[in-house]
Amino acid sequence: MSFLILVPTKRVPDTDGVIRIRDDGLDVDTTHLSFVINPFDAIAVEEALRIGERQDDVEVVVAGIGGEAYEDELRTALAMGADRAVRVATGEPLDPWNVARVLATLVDRLEPRMVLMGKQAVDDDAAQVGQFLAALLDWPQATFASEINDDSLGAVVSRETDHGIETVRVDWPAVITADLRLNEPRYASLPGILAARKKPIEQLTLAELEIEIEPRVELLGLEAVSSGRTCTIVDNVDQLLTHLRDDEEIL
Amino acid sequence: MPDALPATSDVVVIGGGVAGLSAAMQLSQRGSSVTVLERERLGNGSTGRAAGLLGQLRGTSAATRMLMDGVKIVGELEERAEVKIFVQTGSLRVASTDERAREISDLVTMGQEIGFAIEHLPIDEVAGLLPYMRTDDLVDACYCPTDGHLQPAELVTAYLKIGRDNGVEYRSGCPVRGLDIVAGRLRGVKTDQGTIETATVINAAGPWSYLVADLAESPLQTAALGHVYLTTRPDDNQPVDRHSPAIRDRHLRIYSRPESGGLIVGMYGTEAVQHDMGSLPDDFDMSALTVRADDLHVALLIDATRRRFPWIDERTPLTITRGIMTFTPDGKPFCGRHPEIEGLFHCSGFCGHGIVQSPAIGVIMADLVLDGVTDYDIEAIQADRFFEHPELQARPGIETACYQMHAEYYGRIEGAHGAGSENTPGNDLSS
Repeated sequence: MSFLILVPTKRVPDTDGVIRIRDDGLDVDTTHLSFVINPFDAIAVEEALRIGERQDDVEVVVAGIGGEAYEDELRTALAMGADRAVRVATGEPLDPWNVARVLATLVDRLEPRMVLMGKQAVDDDAAQVGQFLAALLDWPQATFASEINDDSLGAVVSRETDHGIETVRVDWPAVITADLRLNEPRYASLPGILAARKKPIEQLTLAELEIEIEPRVELLGLEAVSSGRTCTIVDNVDQLLTHLRDDEEIL
Repeated sequence: MPDALPATSDVVVIGGGVAGLSAAMQLSQRGSSVTVLERERLGNGSTGRAAGLLGQLRGTSAATRMLMDGVKIVGELEERAEVKIFVQTGSLRVASTDERAREISDLVTMGQEIGFAIEHLPIDEVAGLLPYMRTDDLVDACYCPTDGHLQPAELVTAYLKIGRDNGVEYRSGCPVRGLDIVAGRLRGVKTDQGTIETATVINAAGPWSYLVADLAESPLQTAALGHVYLTTRPDDNQPVDRHSPAIRDRHLRIYSRPESGGLIVGMYGTEAVQHDMGSLPDDFDMSALTVRADDLHVALLIDATRRRFPWIDERTPLTITRGIMTFTPDGKPFCGRHPEIEGLFHCSGFCGHGIVQSPAIGVIMADLVLDGVTDYDIEAIQADRFFEHPELQARPGIETACYQMHAEYYGRIEGAHGAGSENTPGNDLSS
């Protein structure tokens, strides 16, 4: 049996896009937005591909939860080199707890030895799903990985913390979440893009996964953050010093 | 609050990229009061994403003179603004097919006829000069020691510094809403912050310039086409000398130059993304044009790059830069007065070569606005050259023609021999 790596991903607005809040204050206005795989998840995809390149018989399955448009992003991961994809069809966005529950049922079906995912999504910054999932599966977890050295039994993982780089070992099966410095994701090659068109994207419904959504967090509102920066142009260094001393009282 | 708009201005320049900034600077130099209106930020459109390659030898002597003069003008700018703009690395054209080799021979002959420094370079010397480039498939190469690249940010800095000293008014975040035209004469420019009275407008809005022309109810034969180039990171295992020559490989349709210890490689492919500038928000920031990991144009670029630089592939850490170029049906810009609206001038459509053309173009625009004539040969870049062309009066026809030009621009189908011909469209031996 091959060593299956499940890489759950999230579809998020392009990080360079200008985010505007919808009039009802409950979501972002997607009119001019393009979407990408959450950058931390793209790092997880890349790491899974690299593990596949250095180990025999690895299968990389990417997963996504969302509407049909999500298949563009799953296709991107397939073009990068993932073997197949699964989309769990939902209309409404799920909170992290329910995402973890859906993923736990996927793990039951696919039986991966490793779940590798981004440490958080850059849209809501919750950073909860990996941890919830490990708890639901009762698997060991290594979060915020900046280096993964895997072998047949498990992996030695470096984690960047405020105290320094922590090195831990987990045995398979395990959940590992990817931090920024783990790697730099590749671009898809021409053959990769062509091959991705033929790779399967399996579609599953919540009913097929026999899962009832249990909302635990209700979104009450969303508002834009003002940078609070104002800009003053001064003519010379003396004016700058005067301004910093008298107006800003910094000096 | 931004400063109030001037009530009147001798000249209003629409567009704060290199073309508009150069024209504004040269006009102010000659005593005109000039206001530059920029939709978003100065120098942040196509200008801010350009590679700036300068290959002075072009298919026509007029275009070559413009670029050679540009180098002199840049020298003066560097002195006045105290910035380093021109990096003289030399440039190499390489040929891996007999057709391309013949083009190179024609080019060397033509260059030497006009006294331009160009010579054939034996392949082993090419290999010595560029150890990081594949050379075993090359059949010929030529070297132009006086070529190089202009650094776009520094060029903008110089235009702005000198323009400011001369009293040019720059307004960012100020999209133009209308042109006030009475009885075929320009009277003013309308913005959200008010109207500026002026008798002269220069449309230097780059990819947006056809929309500015729309405000005068006149078609402008430009289309906004996407372009991508990659930049590698500095890598100790693959050092790239900062002064290595720029490279042009017309067979692979790629160009390359050193950048901060890494390498820039860009491609003029047979296909380009067409942008509908009218559908973008007013404050559209071109740096928001990011690239999907499975972008086909990037994959094609990396594929072509690998054939010349085998150490670069899709796993190599890269930065991809995406921008928008303004193309025209014949690969040449529009610089000159509008034939029917007195006071309206177009200065746009540089087909990916705006940075290097801008120094001389500024002089030409100032000449045309103030004197009505210029010493430069501008026959090929007249703004009205398609004015009566039946298929180029509406968007679909214009876009098709520009797209077609882009597809032929760099790679020129093998076998279409005839380098140096003054009249062959798109055979401008473009940089």
